[in-house]
Amino acid sequence: MMKMNMKKILCGAMGLMMCFSLAACGNGDNNDDKQQDGTEGKKYSIGISQYGEHASLDNCREGFLQGLKDAGLEEGKDFEVDYQNAGFDDNMTIQIGQNFSAKNVDMMVAVATNSATGCYAAAEDKNIPVIYTAINDPEAAGLTAGNATGTSDKLPVDAQLDLIRKLQPEAKTIGILYTTSEPNSVSTVADYQAKAADYGFTIEAVGVTAQAEVTQGADTLIKKGVDCFCNLTDNTVVGVLPSILEKTNEAGIPVYGSEVEQVKIGCVASAGIDYFELGRQTGAMAAKVLKGEATCDEIPFETITEYGIYLNNGALAEMQITVPSDIAEKAIVTDAE
Amino acid sequence: MLELAVSTVTQGLIFALLSYGVYITYKILDFPDLTVDGSFPLGAAVTAVLLVNECNPFLTLIVAAAVGALAGFCTGFIHVKLKVRDLLAGIITMTALFSINLQIAGSNLAVGRNVDTIFTNPFISGLLGNMPLLYRKLIVALVLALVVKITLDFYFKTKNGLLLRAVGDNDALVTTLAKDKGWVKILGLVIANSLVALAGAVVCHEQRSFAATMGTGQIVFGLATVIIGTTLFRKMSFVKGTTAVMVGSILYKICIQIAISLGLPPNLLKLITAVLFLVILVIGNMEKGMVRKHA
Repeated sequence: MMKMNMKKILCGAMGLMMCFSLAACGNGDNNDDKQQDGTEGKKYSIGISQYGEHASLDNCREGFLQGLKDAGLEEGKDFEVDYQNAGFDDNMTIQIGQNFSAKNVDMMVAVATNSATGCYAAAEDKNIPVIYTAINDPEAAGLTAGNATGTSDKLPVDAQLDLIRKLQPEAKTIGILYTTSEPNSVSTVADYQAKAADYGFTIEAVGVTAQAEVTQGADTLIKKGVDCFCNLTDNTVVGVLPSILEKTNEAGIPVYGSEVEQVKIGCVASAGIDYFELGRQTGAMAAKVLKGEATCDEIPFETITEYGIYLNNGALAEMQITVPSDIAEKAIVTDAE
Repeated sequence: MLELAVSTVTQGLIFALLSYGVYITYKILDFPDLTVDGSFPLGAAVTAVLLVNECNPFLTLIVAAAVGALAGFCTGFIHVKLKVRDLLAGIITMTALFSINLQIAGSNLAVGRNVDTIFTNPFISGLLGNMPLLYRKLIVALVLALVVKITLDFYFKTKNGLLLRAVGDNDALVTTLAKDKGWVKILGLVIANSLVALAGAVVCHEQRSFAATMGTGQIVFGLATVIIGTTLFRKMSFVKGTTAVMVGSILYKICIQIAISLGLPPNLLKLITAVLFLVILVIGNMEKGMVRKHA
């Protein structure tokens, strides 16, 4: 009896393994078929591993595809994309990287640091090129050696401080909410603290560990009487930006964003990155690597040097902030859609 | 295709170390230990710092297990000696560890490819010849998972191990044996969390990085693997609990890999994973029903 039972279980387990193999085989076969009908040369397979669903990261990915298109590569004809999203789960990023490696993709593209780590580890054995984007500090993330390159989304701290000074000449303290476990945020806060004095500001930074603590953090900053909030590209904090804005609007404190999406949601202004452009720049680098014009070792990682200034006129009017004409001229107005 | 199976099973074997830990607390001690979400990254944090400072890769595993044991001791001490409820004791240690991990390794710490890990050091390379890294990882993970499993199986049969099981099943018995059940509980938590930290250490070797967020959800993973494993093998008393959770861990990783490989919209990944778990559990329960009918 016992033996029979075990047989059944074994059958079950085998069945599962077979499903597993079939699923994976299916994908492999597809790639081969498609490769044959390509008109010329090889059809590249690109695996994109994105850390989670998030407006900035999505823009980055779309910009990346645009960058490839600009370089004359057409999706479906010249390359195939396998897009995976880890849902902010670190275990998932590992398995996504391994999936790409087993499929022998020609290139792994990682959006955000944790995904890049997973891809980079999985690519080690086969030396598959890894192109990353939306990483604050590629050097600290150990992504500057080996077959990897990409773009950094380091924030233009000076430009942002300058903008705040011009819009709020009387302001003294800037409040910053950040997550202590997000490396990008920790290093950016340090950057702000180092540079704030040059513009006559002091920084009040409040670190949180989870999304549930963000609104409490906002209350703390409001109570401390900061003159404005300045957002980073902190995933945890930005995820609940609307509820922060609700509190700050009530208290009459303007919030500055770090990129265009945050201004659309209701921040007053931002000197920041356009993630679509960042992705596009990354796509151009990827195209060079795919076409064999350069290897990752030959291309150092890039940082965006051109920043846009984005204004939300509705929010500015509500905070009774007047925009100096020199800023208004070069700014892009992105009121809530 | 074979490669995908190999890397997935390797993941399952590495995380089996964590599942053993959760098996000890949840199944044997009947103690819902949430320390796991903190002790897992603790093991990785310590390992990452040691590796960056050129410590012997095998030594890092021992150190990681030792700090994990300390974390388990804290939870045990808070629960048994300070009389805090079990769930809360775990939460307290886990929360404290979050900050401690940040202090140890910062929010992210990368271990460069030039640093030797347990998978790439000269000893293992020499032993396994020019085998591709993928298969070397499988063999090292398999050896680790089996050595720990056999050691645990042996331990459960010792007098001390039997006491551990008695605390979960019938703690009055332990008292009648003139043993302090509190210390037995602490011992269980110490062993469990040293295994969890060991899992974190191996993941750090494999991924060459530590991330402060890597502990999130590990207890959920651990509980799922223990339940999947023990449900599947419920009627087969000759299959040891450790074997069952090892299979559970591998099945879990296979489920996720299937979900990824299916190429469905990425946002549905978790939903697919959940459906696959449900299927496994239902199959496990069906087996049980059929056996009854035959009997």
